[in-house]
Formats: sequence, structure tokens, C-alpha cells
Amino acid sequence: MYKWFEALGGNEDIVIASGVRLSRNLEKYPFSKKISDSDAIHMVEEVLKEFETYADEEFGYIECNLGELSEIEKFAMVERQILSKEIAVKKQCSGLVMSEDESTSILINEEDHLKIQALAGGANMQKAYEKANEVDDYASESLEMAFSEKYGYLTSSPSNVGTGLRASYLMFLPALGGANKINRLSEEVMKYGVGLKAVYGDGAEGVGHIYELYNEKTLGSTEPELLENLRGIMEQVAAQERKRREYLLANNYDEIEDQVFRSYGVLKYAKQMNSKDAMTLLSQIKFGADVGIIQFEKPLNIYKMIMEVQPYSLQCRSGKYVGSKVRDKLRAQYLGANLSEVIN
Amino acid sequence: MLCEKCKKRQATIYYTEIVDGKKYEKHLCEKCALEYADFVYEAEDGSDNALLEGLLSSILGSYYKSSQPVKKEGREAVIQCERCGMTYDAFLQGGKFGCANCYSSFGKQLEKSFRQIHGATSHVGKRPKGFVSQTDRIIKDLSEVDRLSIRLQDAIEKEEFETAAALRDQIRALKAKEESQNV
Ligand SMILES: [Zn+2]
Ligand SMILES: [Zn+2]
Repeated sequence: MYKWFEALGGNEDIVIASGVRLSRNLEKYPFSKKISDSDAIHMVEEVLKEFETYADEEFGYIECNLGELSEIEKFAMVERQILSKEIAVKKQCSGLVMSEDESTSILINEEDHLKIQALAGGANMQKAYEKANEVDDYASESLEMAFSEKYGYLTSSPSNVGTGLRASYLMFLPALGGANKINRLSEEVMKYGVGLKAVYGDGAEGVGHIYELYNEKTLGSTEPELLENLRGIMEQVAAQERKRREYLLANNYDEIEDQVFRSYGVLKYAKQMNSKDAMTLLSQIKFGADVGIIQFEKPLNIYKMIMEVQPYSLQCRSGKYVGSKVRDKLRAQYLGANLSEVIN
Repeated sequence: MLCEKCKKRQATIYYTEIVDGKKYEKHLCEKCALEYADFVYEAEDGSDNALLEGLLSSILGSYYKSSQPVKKEGREAVIQCERCGMTYDAFLQGGKFGCANCYSSFGKQLEKSFRQIHGATSHVGKRPKGFVSQTDRIIKDLSEVDRLSIRLQDAIEKEEFETAAALRDQIRALKAKEESQNV
């Protein structure tokens, strides 16, 4: 079974993926801040039981109590954006329902009782929203959700109240990021109730030039309005990235071409590689491939590779806990074996 | 500059609102502004919502029991959620609600923070399937004029001024008809 990010959609040059998260709470239990350990166990059991039939009907749903997973498995899921760090280290009972391709998941007893997540490859927000909405409708058929006429869906944090909807585009912005434009851009989009932040690494620019563009407001607009507003901003950011790419290529083609092929050489033939270097170099060859400087025998899914060279994901595949020296070798081996041959 | 609403006449009046600490201006022509002003500019403190809430509660006021004890002594009362024990101060510090009931316990205090975070205080999106609101139930028992008045408030809140104007005319016509019948 392929993971969702292995299925190539459209628009991958700039929009890697679209995701929707719906925060919901059950009326009858206190929120995570105040829920007792025994209530947490009951709540997780109740929700898991509710989704048993769903898991049966919808092919390939996996259910578990997060206590059954190892540290490495949990942190690999954090790297793949399924779990939050918060729930991975949580001592209290928590649960997970997930489709086999990992595109749809429900976290139970995180910040809110239910965190319904749906992901789709490329700029495909509608697909992600419809899936999350379907899961929400299924859940609310028998579970009474905390909802008020005035404030909408009631959440732990006032920043999610109302729709409980957080939609986000995962965007690849190497030209804007390389020109240190992200800070200004994030101030700009903030005026429209939209946030922009780096997914990997610290600081505004981050590592690998992968960013998340998301709605900050959840109250006072309908779901379609929120999605439409975000889509408009996404298109403007994408247009700016395209413009910047054209500018770079027109002015620095030779340097960029040289850099892209050097990066490929290091990725393909190095014997040790830390994750930061791997992400930076992968980001450079993705840019090269997107603008046609470098062509591969087989289409390259760089985002998949970025996920798979993360520390816990590497260890998860190797099946054991290893130190960083061994990981750097495993990472170099993985890249050497998985980077396609160049044909131009 | 042309009026933002009708996009035909010259804009002569602007209406400002603060969302997320940022000021937004709406430029309107006199005619459109009048429709707007009929509802909006009567507010004494310049805040449109204070007026809307006032109107809505005067319409619905007799149907709702006052949910909060009004404490108007000089001292500050400790506001606490009866169900989960979360105090308003603890909420402000931790930034998290303790349970669904906290929202009604902290009541009016929340509107300010919601306005700061979201630039809005009311939900207009999805509802759980089969959710019947208290308002829906109340509206069922209302007279035609009251029902139209509520729809009018709703239209104003959503800034659907043409709908609002049409509803206002309908209400006036109905009232005129009632009066002539009473004579
Ligand atoms: Zn006008
Ligand atoms: Zn409470």
C-alpha cells in the first residue's frame, strides 16, 4: 500500500500537499486540561469502539491505543506529520485511527478529544476537506460533540473555536526562501488571517524550504469561506515563487545548474550524511528538477525522500534504535540506492 | 473612489472596523451608507456589535433566562466554571478551557479575546447534523414581524445589506398593515 505522499498529483513544483484538521470534543467529558486518567481511558475506548465499524467498512483502517507503540514508531509518525510531539510524549491514554495510506487519521485525546486529519497530494484542498468532513459526520452521528449555537464547535484552545478547522498547504518555496523573503511574506499574509511557517528546522527560513501556509482564524467565517481565502493567498504566494524562480534562472542559470548537479553528486555518492544536509541538497535537486535543469530516469518524489531520511523514520525501517553515526551511514545508503539516474 | 457596495456611485463615507489590531475601512456612497447607517451608526459607543447584541437581546430577552448572576459591586468576583472548576484567571494564564461549560461560565469576558484572535465573536459555519438551536425553537413561536427582525439582524451581521434593506421594507409594510387593521 502506498502512503498518500507517494501518489503524485498535480502542482508538485510548489504545492506539495493540502491538509485539513478538524478539532472536536465530546460533550460529556472535560477537555484534555481537566480530564482524569480514568475518564481518558473511557473516552479513548468509546471513540475507538465507535470507529470499529468505520475501520471495517473503509478498507484498511488501523486502530490502536498509542501506548502499544514504541518510542521510535511514535516519533517516526511525528516526522510524517501524523502525530504531534505533544501526543507522542503524553502519559495519559490516547488513541489513533488511521487509514493504511496514512492520508486520513483521527488522534484521540490530544489537545482536543478528536483531531480529525485528512491529507491529499498537491493543491487538492477540496479532497482533503471532504474526507475530514465525512469522518466528522460519521463521528457526530453517535457521539455528541461539544457545540454551542453562538461559538460553534468548542475547543480546548480559543484559537480553534468555531469551525475547529485548520487548513494548510505544504509549499516548496526555494526561490523565496533562498532570498530571505519568508519573514516579510509571513507578515504580509498575516493581514489576511493566514500564517506561514517553516515545517523543518528553526527560524523563519527553516531547512529544505518547505513551508506551511494555514488559516489562523477559525471563528466568524464558514468553512468554504476560510478555504477560499486560504486558496487565494496560496495562489499569490505560488505566483511570487514562480516570478522569483524566473528571475533567478534568467540571472544565475550557470551557477544554479552547477549547484544542482553538485548537490546530486553528493547525495548520490556520499557515504555519510546528516539530515540537515540531506534536506538542503534534496531541496536543491527538487528545484533543479522542477525547472527542468536536471532530468531523472524515473520521476522523483523529493518530499517522500525528505520524510524517509528523517532520523526516526530511518530507524523505524532499520528496525532498531541506532546512534547518529550509524544513522548518517544509513541515510547515505538510502539516498544512494533511491536517487534515480540522471538522463540529461 | 467608487462605493465598495454598489460600485456605481462615488464613495463619500467610510466605516472602519478593527480586526486583529488592524484597521479596515469600508468606503460607501451616501445611499449605501444610509442603509448601513440605519442599523449601524446608532450605536453610542461607535461599536456596531454592541448595538446588534442589544437589539437581538431585546428581541429574545424575554425568552432567555439570564444565565449569569450579575455582580455589580465594586470588588472583583472570582469567575469559575461550575462543572470543571477552571477559574477565569487560570484560563487566561494557561490559554486552555477546561470543559465545554467554561464557554458559558466565562461568558461575556470571552468576546474581547475572540475578537482579538478571530476578528469575530459568532460562529457561522457547520453545525452537527440534527442540531436544533435554542433560537430555532424560539423563532418557531414568534410572530411574523419578530421572525423577519431576526433575519434582518442576521443579514446585517453578515453584511448582506441588500437582503437587509428588503427585510426592513417587509417589516415596515407588515407593521403599517397591522396598524391600519387596528384602526
Ligand atoms: Zn453605493
Ligand atoms: Zn469548565
